[in-house]
Amino acid sequence: MHLQRLVLPTYFWLFVLYLFTPLMVIAVMGFRDSNFVAFPINKWTTDWYHEILFDRDIQSSLWLSLRIAVVSTAISIVVGLPTAFLVARTKGVLRGALISILLLPAFLPVIVSAISLRIFAGKIGLETGMLAIALGHAVASMPFVVIMVLTRIDSMNRNLVDAAQNLGADPIIVLTRIVLPYLSPALFGAFLFSMLLSFEDFVRSFFLGGFDQTFPVLLYSRLRFGFDPGLAAVSTIVLIATTCLGLFAERILRGRRARSSQQKKGSPTND
Amino acid sequence: MTRFLVYSRRFALYRGFNTLYMTSPATRFLMVALLPLVWILLANVAPLAQMVEISFRDTYPLQPGEEGSYSLQHYAGFFEKPLYFRAFLRSFVFATLVTFATLVVVFPVAFYISKAAPKSQRARLLLLVVAPFWVSEIIRSFAWIVMLANRGAVNSFFGWFGMPGVPYELLYNNFSLSIGVIYLASLYMLLPLYSAIERIDDNLLEAAANLGASTRRRITRIILPLSLPGIVAGCTLVFLLTVGLFAMPVLLGGPSNTLFPAIIAQIFHKAGASWPQGSAYSILLTIAALIYVGLFIALAGRRGRGAKP
Repeated sequence: MHLQRLVLPTYFWLFVLYLFTPLMVIAVMGFRDSNFVAFPINKWTTDWYHEILFDRDIQSSLWLSLRIAVVSTAISIVVGLPTAFLVARTKGVLRGALISILLLPAFLPVIVSAISLRIFAGKIGLETGMLAIALGHAVASMPFVVIMVLTRIDSMNRNLVDAAQNLGADPIIVLTRIVLPYLSPALFGAFLFSMLLSFEDFVRSFFLGGFDQTFPVLLYSRLRFGFDPGLAAVSTIVLIATTCLGLFAERILRGRRARSSQQKKGSPTND
Repeated sequence: MTRFLVYSRRFALYRGFNTLYMTSPATRFLMVALLPLVWILLANVAPLAQMVEISFRDTYPLQPGEEGSYSLQHYAGFFEKPLYFRAFLRSFVFATLVTFATLVVVFPVAFYISKAAPKSQRARLLLLVVAPFWVSEIIRSFAWIVMLANRGAVNSFFGWFGMPGVPYELLYNNFSLSIGVIYLASLYMLLPLYSAIERIDDNLLEAAANLGASTRRRITRIILPLSLPGIVAGCTLVFLLTVGLFAMPVLLGGPSNTLFPAIIAQIFHKAGASWPQGSAYSILLTIAALIYVGLFIALAGRRGRGAKP
């Protein structure tokens, strides 16, 4: 069995190399003591990291991206939660239709979605800029939020709600003391997911943006018109931060899945 | 929290909400459905409908007092301009090739993680491969620029070994673009493949092995047919991602091989009456991509049914 013993593991680790080498290379490049991005690196410095922290454009673009991520996530959760309730209540053809309209933004070519939103924003008189981008990002992350919350709702035991109601809980108590705590892992996962999606988005920010640039848009324009190792330094910081957050979100969502499959089997699994 | 709830019970808003919710199933439904339905209408339906409408207009935005007129000129114009038509075809060919390449590259990885690796390590290996998922398209493009530039990592690596003809022209052509896009798309392929292959019963493979089936036979007769749903899902995702890709082709691709999304962006950013044209081309791209993917799914579905005894 050469294939299983030798070829497949080797291939797998080559693939891992393919995934990680570019990221390592960009991290290393941030320490090059020169104005140009090039190899070999003969002199090393940490100056770029100092410099990048005080670069006004980069600071403000990161700050703008963060604010947009927060606003768009707030919107997508406030709208996504009742949407998941709505889908959970509908059945049959109606449910299928509702889900396909909801998932539409995730299947459109991104550029088409971005341009349609830009035209629509112009039509309703919404200025390009922060709010327009945040709304655009909320449109993009809504499908994911709804699906994550919906899977959690579907695994919920209806008896919990009925029992609370029989014991005299009013709808708000049921919502805040029973339903929301049960949904909290999915909500938290959806929150992180939506933050990351927004923070990483380029195309929607590019078309819906005004004068101020979000971080990906700034990076894009610098990559087209001249860049230095400082850009590699800030990219490294951002990629480490987003990767850590992403793995954290993944852990939360996986923990949820593991727990719910345990509940279904009714016995603890041993892996 | 409890205290806050007890306290807020004194207010009319709280009681009002509850009474309203309890009045009748219809009001209850309305309270849940109002916000979602308004959102779906405004965010998912209206922009697309608006885009379709504008694509038939001759000019947009209208000047004050101008009467709008409708025609098919922008759709007809598309087929008369070989420059645009060629970019459109190039996008579809490119996306198809990249999708197939991604499938070939990722399939062994998915198989290794889900079946061949030691059981205790599988979760960890999956996590390792999933980790770079959250690095954005732009940063990934940047990383490949640093890798493939004339004085980039790969060329300096080759030069270090004294390879003749260094530096090679690796960047700003179809090669660098394909490498970057496969890099970007591999995760969208990996996850569906992983979950499909993981579901295959180990006993089937063992039984086949006991009955003397060679490794190749087990792959072609058991693993490939049974992972078909994963292959279809992965290819669909990767194709739809690739065909609409805008930033990476601009950053990594060559100047002569413009893809269709870049053309749409160009038309859209021009001043003047180009919004209707951009809308028409966007709709052509969307419809063509969805039909293409739909045909693929239908075809694969028939194959899959045919393969079963």
